[in-house]
Amino acid sequence: MTGTTSHNERAGAKEPMSKRTAHRRRTAGVALALAGALVLSACSGGGGGGEPEGEDSAGPEQSAAITFGDEAASTGPAEEVPGATPGGTVNVLQETAPDHLDPAQVYVSHESNITRLLHRGLTAVRLDNEGNYSVLGDLATDAGQVSDEGRTWTYTLKEDIYFNDGSPITSADIRHSVERLFADFITQGPSYLQRWLANEPETYRELLPDGPYGGEHLPDSVLETPDERTVIFHFEQPQNDLPYALSMPGYAVVSAEGDTQEAYDQEPMTSGPYQIEEFRPGRSMTLTRNEYWEAASDPARNAYPDRYEITFGHTREDTTARLMADNGENQTTVTFNNGLDAGQGPAVVEDPQYQDRLVDGYQPYVWSLAINQQTVTDRRIREAIALAVPLNGVRAAYGGALGGEYAGSLISPLLPGREDDYDPFGKVANPQGDIAGARALLEEADAVGYELNYVHHTAPEDQQAAIAVENALEEAGFDVNRSEVPPETYYDTIGVVDSGFDIYRSSWGADWLSGSTVVPPQYDGRQIADGASNYAHLDDEHVNSEIDRILLIEDPDQAATEWFELSKYVVEDAVASVPVIYYRQTMLHGSLIGGAVFNDDVGTIDMQRLYVIQDGS
Amino acid sequence: MLRFLLRRSLGALAILLLISAVTFFLFYAIPRNPALLACGKGVCTQEQLAVVEHNLGIDKPIPQQYWEYMVGIFAGREFPAGSCPAPCLGFSFRDNRPVLDTILDRLPTTLSLAAGGVVVFLVLGLGFGMVAAWRRGTLTDRTVSSTSLVLSSAQIYFLGPLALALLVYNNQILSQPGYFPITEGPGAWFAGLLLPWLVLSTIFTAQYTRLSRAALIEQLQEDHVRTARAKGMGRRTVFFRYAWRGSLIPIVTVLGIDMGSLIGGAMITEQTFALPGLGRLAVDSVTQSNLPMLMGVMLFAALMIVVFNIIVDACYALIDPRVRLA
Repeated sequence: MTGTTSHNERAGAKEPMSKRTAHRRRTAGVALALAGALVLSACSGGGGGGEPEGEDSAGPEQSAAITFGDEAASTGPAEEVPGATPGGTVNVLQETAPDHLDPAQVYVSHESNITRLLHRGLTAVRLDNEGNYSVLGDLATDAGQVSDEGRTWTYTLKEDIYFNDGSPITSADIRHSVERLFADFITQGPSYLQRWLANEPETYRELLPDGPYGGEHLPDSVLETPDERTVIFHFEQPQNDLPYALSMPGYAVVSAEGDTQEAYDQEPMTSGPYQIEEFRPGRSMTLTRNEYWEAASDPARNAYPDRYEITFGHTREDTTARLMADNGENQTTVTFNNGLDAGQGPAVVEDPQYQDRLVDGYQPYVWSLAINQQTVTDRRIREAIALAVPLNGVRAAYGGALGGEYAGSLISPLLPGREDDYDPFGKVANPQGDIAGARALLEEADAVGYELNYVHHTAPEDQQAAIAVENALEEAGFDVNRSEVPPETYYDTIGVVDSGFDIYRSSWGADWLSGSTVVPPQYDGRQIADGASNYAHLDDEHVNSEIDRILLIEDPDQAATEWFELSKYVVEDAVASVPVIYYRQTMLHGSLIGGAVFNDDVGTIDMQRLYVIQDGS
Repeated sequence: MLRFLLRRSLGALAILLLISAVTFFLFYAIPRNPALLACGKGVCTQEQLAVVEHNLGIDKPIPQQYWEYMVGIFAGREFPAGSCPAPCLGFSFRDNRPVLDTILDRLPTTLSLAAGGVVVFLVLGLGFGMVAAWRRGTLTDRTVSSTSLVLSSAQIYFLGPLALALLVYNNQILSQPGYFPITEGPGAWFAGLLLPWLVLSTIFTAQYTRLSRAALIEQLQEDHVRTARAKGMGRRTVFFRYAWRGSLIPIVTVLGIDMGSLIGGAMITEQTFALPGLGRLAVDSVTQSNLPMLMGVMLFAALMIVVFNIIVDACYALIDPRVRLA
């Protein structure tokens, strides 16, 4: 609804060759000025209407700024949430239980949301009371000291940091946590850091094939731990996003002494404010306080509740009904992943009685239709596809306005540097698609009846969306052959270069609030390979060279703008992908839950700020 | 009786072997590779995939996998991600733990749901059936019959949310459904399962009412009942001593199958009330393509049905001595 004022107080930006602190406010100017038509005004004001001023500012219609925190900002305890009181139990209703507890195996949101309560990494992203986002030092004293034009990053560990068995966290644990990422049993977590360290996107494991378990270690030229508190990363290419990457739950610390390899996935040691008292897979998880966690060392977590009782197997319908009822334990209940169900959701967002219990925001994912550049070689045909795809038909399949907003670009509204009204084919304005325009282009290309092989997966919403897309394309003059594959093989299917498919759905989400996690992974032509994520198989010299250039830009503001410009080229000039919807999530919480705001970095409710509204408070 | 049970048990074992073989080959013949799930999105190279397949033990020929599966039931198995002690019903690749551990974790919920539900629908169903048969042709009979017809056509996925809205969310007459171990508090256990029992038993009550009524009416027309009445035995005595006992045979038959099915997992009821039982485990296993778990749940459900059929057969023998003699 509003624009944003971003602060840009870069200090030391003119010192590329010198070692300098990264604490300067590298304000990314997250221009979260969102489309005014969005019904986003329902961002949580906190439970029970008792939320202090300032909480609403974290909503998606507000501006936010990302800074890299210095030592002062990275010193705990975390800024108090106004009105918060410690104690109590928060109940969490989730649909899917985590399959993995080993942080190195955690990537997907239903796992990472819980992991954030349990584990700490070198850095963390904090949403403050004013709605600003900062990358802070978590286990480290700051967000990182950078030198050698972004090729060397140095971290100093805090002193009062411990695992939940009381053992101190040292640089040996950080080294071990990094080295085990190369072991063959670590298959599910993020791989940014490994790829950067190895400077080999696809064969990074060859740097340390057995991880640390065969007696080998990463050389000092890659990772140095000269003393118990110092960790130095060396990269061949500048990695200006390292502090963001290290904040991912998948890079949380694992105890070198307590590592049980594969078995760590069942019983991990924790370093965050909570530990797992009991986990019954598929049923429930109880988190209790980790007595060795020191609030004074943690600038990112308030950890007000004494206990979390998480239960699994709750559908969206069940979750919505319980939270609407707001009775008994439901009053102290939240959900991290279950948005309002499509049936009751529209009524809930319109009903005044629920407004102060709603949390609403964008998820990082953008639903887009990739067009295989190697098979659909005529740009006019690709543009015809782009014109015909009905955004409204797809959005309806995902729950209508509750499920998402029409997308004009490939960059999520959560990310900085965007042009909010970007709509190159007029699709946001006319979401039903331009069938006549598409047909005219096909006729111009003498390609009426063009055969398109379309693959999607078997999830019900994907099937429904695919039917809408197929109908529109056929109406425009395409001959569509639609195939379905199971979800678990879907990305492997579309990742095969010679798959023979022409168009396919991709839902890509930024791993942190930067276009560097959106454009290069999907559109770098040098990464076209079986299993890679350049699903459009776009190999464009301009795109490739621009990726190399933008990755070297140290100013996040400029980089953000440049990433967006490059994404426009992908959409308009290359027509490699058709943006369709930005995913949204609207959640309800109980009336005795305070501090509930949407966190853009997490893509859901901010679990670090939650508190239970106690009697009399 | 012992020989009878032994014979039936051996037959059941053969059936279970057959079911296990069919289930195993069906599941592992379908084109879904669990290694891809374990591998993650776009992370694994072909070499990594091969390592994962080896770790999961799915790089061997299917007959050999089946043989190892069957051996594991009696001798246990070792996997890189953990051990699976006997009786090993498989090892879940998703959460790296033996399938049986998860099944046993879910079993108390399903047992509680099934046992309570059976008590409710047997008491109500047989009771209403007796009343209808006793008052055959009257307004009471017609009311019970037509009501049971309507209720037997209702579905849990309709009744469940309706009951939740009326009795829990809007009026707070009953507690929020949930499973709490009986050992931790019988009151919470009872309160948490009361609504699921009532909803689950509604449909069964209607069916057993109709079944019981029909069986009783049929028994009341039997020669030995008519003879007893002709000899001057009281109506009530004849009804309960002869007709009711005779009517139990078809009811016990159906009950055996229903009990087996319920303990195998009341999927819709568990899903509706978010109860962590075997039914929901089966559904989750399907949606997550967790084939070892699905296989384990299927085998367990089959075992329950076979076991309850043996119990039913034994009950036949108790109810009707002619079965034992045969």
